[in-house]
Amino acid sequence: MGNQVMSVLKKDYIYNLMLKGQRSDGRAFDEIRDIEIRTNVIEKAEGSAWIKMGGTEILVGVKLQVGTPFPDSADQGVIITSMELNPIASPDFEAGPPKENAIEMARVTDRGIRESGAIDLNKLCITEGEEVWMVFIDIHVLNNEGNIQDVSSLGAIAALLTAVVPGEREGRGEDMPMPIRDMPISVTLVDIGGEMMIDPALDEETVCDTRITIVSNQDGSISGMQKSGDGALTEEKLLKAVSLACQKASELREAHLLNI
Amino acid sequence: MEREIVIPGQLLSENKTDSGPGTYVKDGKVYSLLYGVKNAKNKISVIPFSGKYIPSSRDYVIGTVIEVTPSNWIFDIGSPYDGLLHVSEYPRRVEQEKMAEYMGIGSSALLRVKDVSSSMKVELTMRERGLRLLDKGRVIEVTPTKVPRIIGHGGSMVSMLKKETNCEVFVGQNGRIWIKGKDSEMDLLTEAIELIMKHSHTSGLTDRISLFLKGEDEFVSEKDEAVFEEDLTEDTEDESEIREDTYRKVDALLEDDD
Amino acid sequence: MSDKPEKFIDENGLRLDGRRVDEIRPMKMEIGVLSRADGSCYLEWGKNKVLAAVYGPRELHPRRLQKADSALIRYRYNMAAFSVEDRIRPGPSRRSIEISKVSREAFEPVVLTHLYPGAVIDVFAEVLQADAGTRTAAINAACMALADAGIPMKGLVSACAVGKVDGQLVLDLNKPEDNYGDADIPMAMTSDGEITLVQMDGDVTPEEFKQAIEMCKEGCRQIMELQKETLKNKFTKLEDVEISDDEEEVDVSALVESTLEPSGDDVEGEEESEDKSDDDADQEEEVEDAGEDSVDEPGPESEDDEDEDLDSVESHSDFEAVEMVEDFEESFTDVDEEDATEDEDDEEKA
Repeated sequence: MGNQVMSVLKKDYIYNLMLKGQRSDGRAFDEIRDIEIRTNVIEKAEGSAWIKMGGTEILVGVKLQVGTPFPDSADQGVIITSMELNPIASPDFEAGPPKENAIEMARVTDRGIRESGAIDLNKLCITEGEEVWMVFIDIHVLNNEGNIQDVSSLGAIAALLTAVVPGEREGRGEDMPMPIRDMPISVTLVDIGGEMMIDPALDEETVCDTRITIVSNQDGSISGMQKSGDGALTEEKLLKAVSLACQKASELREAHLLNI
Repeated sequence: MEREIVIPGQLLSENKTDSGPGTYVKDGKVYSLLYGVKNAKNKISVIPFSGKYIPSSRDYVIGTVIEVTPSNWIFDIGSPYDGLLHVSEYPRRVEQEKMAEYMGIGSSALLRVKDVSSSMKVELTMRERGLRLLDKGRVIEVTPTKVPRIIGHGGSMVSMLKKETNCEVFVGQNGRIWIKGKDSEMDLLTEAIELIMKHSHTSGLTDRISLFLKGEDEFVSEKDEAVFEEDLTEDTEDESEIREDTYRKVDALLEDDD
Repeated sequence: MSDKPEKFIDENGLRLDGRRVDEIRPMKMEIGVLSRADGSCYLEWGKNKVLAAVYGPRELHPRRLQKADSALIRYRYNMAAFSVEDRIRPGPSRRSIEISKVSREAFEPVVLTHLYPGAVIDVFAEVLQADAGTRTAAINAACMALADAGIPMKGLVSACAVGKVDGQLVLDLNKPEDNYGDADIPMAMTSDGEITLVQMDGDVTPEEFKQAIEMCKEGCRQIMELQKETLKNKFTKLEDVEISDDEEEVDVSALVESTLEPSGDDVEGEEESEDKSDDDADQEEEVEDAGEDSVDEPGPESEDDEDEDLDSVESHSDFEAVEMVEDFEESFTDVDEEDATEDEDDEEKA
């Protein structure tokens, strides 16, 4: 089947709901779906989180290895984020190397973590210029019911918060907790018929032509942004989206990350 | 109990003449092919809990146009096999270059399966009474194996749904249900259909859904409900002994309706 | 990684994890865990965590891969990058490609692929955490996902491995036994004991191999019990065992039958009856149904060929229902009828 073609009836349905200020799952425009996070679910990983937002389920695993630093940042650890839109997660995903959507979302998640300085990379240096910790963040999408982007980014930070640097196992000193300084959170909105809706469910994501993701930090600063889709946004809408995203990110942080 | 949950490979009978749909015979014995419910009436059949819609000649289906070729509309009919509607099977004469004006990509229609070849080429038609383009209303998707529950005994469920919600309803055998009415009525009907799906294995469903639509029975939370169902199933073991007067009344009504 | 233990089996005959030589690790599973998949299963076996999903039968692209007379089965065994001690690169490896192939072939003998010509049945098995025996764990989960998806199968498939440590055969290898043992023999079996997967590496005598088959059989039997239990308990848990009104069951069986033999001529001739008023048609059914009920209740199985008729009558009822809808849409007389019954309805209530 697949969802490549959405019926006009369904599009009309979503559009008409929008006109009445409603969404197909009964949420308000600025309401995020229910979130459930379980951490340390994969004992073999240095950190892990199973996260469910609405019906979207993602498993994030963090692994650390000793590697060589990049020449231009000889005293810093390395973050490598990858995402697979696994065919297990949707009839629309195919096996094979990551395609543009997966790469885009992995990179947005990666930039959020990197640019916010969420991980203190200097603390991940073992011997300057020679050995540093490489942090692999692998995002495994298990079930796609929309907004993989935000679920991934929240899952990644949750997994990082539980991660332990395996000094002992690798013979590089003692174990230490992952040096986390910030908790960047991405919040995505879609534009449907001129209204912005937060945390799009699958049918909303399919029907919309513009999507905007904003990654913001604990102090309210913004560390990443991505517009995606073949539509356009007005300046006013973009600014509104940014302020809503920052507010929602802070609520999410409060509700789901501070207790990890 | 005659009706039990069975799994693939489960021995159902020692007598090979008992083999009905959803079963197979090996060494003179009958086994289940599917995970589902055993139905031992005359022959033994197994009704699966889930499964894809496989088109069959004369089936009524609801499809969505996914492609328009020079002489065919190609419909997604919620099946592993797409359906072809040849331009000559449209109710009116349509010039080939204008096909997309009549039905473009994303359009939905009520269709009937005209023929299915052995290689599963599915030919559709709209040249029969009632078949047409659907430009209003909603389409709800349900598990195709549960379509008979939506239709109900002799159509009782579907006529009750129509009556109680004032909606037009068309149940496609491919698990797509088209409904049309006022928004509030469609919302209620959608909710009722979701309930039917969720409780499709319980008894007295038509009556309960009817009460729900009348606002007399709120389907309560899962926990309370389990208790409720237990009571209900006990009492409906024998259909003639329906516990509450209301049930009897509704039942009588539905019979009249038929 | 731990070094090779001195002894795998202690003086009491117990293994490093406290199991006897013929004991499998604790296993639990749950079906229907993924909303997008047609069938799914999450399975934990020891420290293995596996998620399997089935999509299909569905359309297969590109066309040249299609088989004219049956469905293609694709099986993808994939390990999550973080599933093992040392991170592995995502994507297929030579190992995972081989495992995918033999695992697919473990199912091909039981799945009735010829019912879905040209289509594909995709089976995805994701190893989220690996701890020896992942291919057999994946097969056990995949089998459950296939059943959950309503795919017709001659029987379930169960799998487990036998290995050799300290010169002794042991069932269901744990990680150290797998790493340092002398042999590893994973097998998959159908419910009637046919072997659909067997691989072996290491060193065993023919006698030991014979014994290994027996041990595997016993392991698979236990696993199959768990699989059965999981499937059967899915609905009892929801208090949903009582399966309702007989008539509707027969409706469905007509559908299933058309699924299994896509000829569908049982419906032919219904067109003519279209002119008949709905009332007549439905009454006719009513009588038939009543007859069925009485057959069903006292229990004695009538061994005649009635069921063909019943099926046609019942599929008839599907069609009648559909037709009623059409009439309703087409003419206002029907609407009036509906209103009339509604009035009666109100009267009754009063």
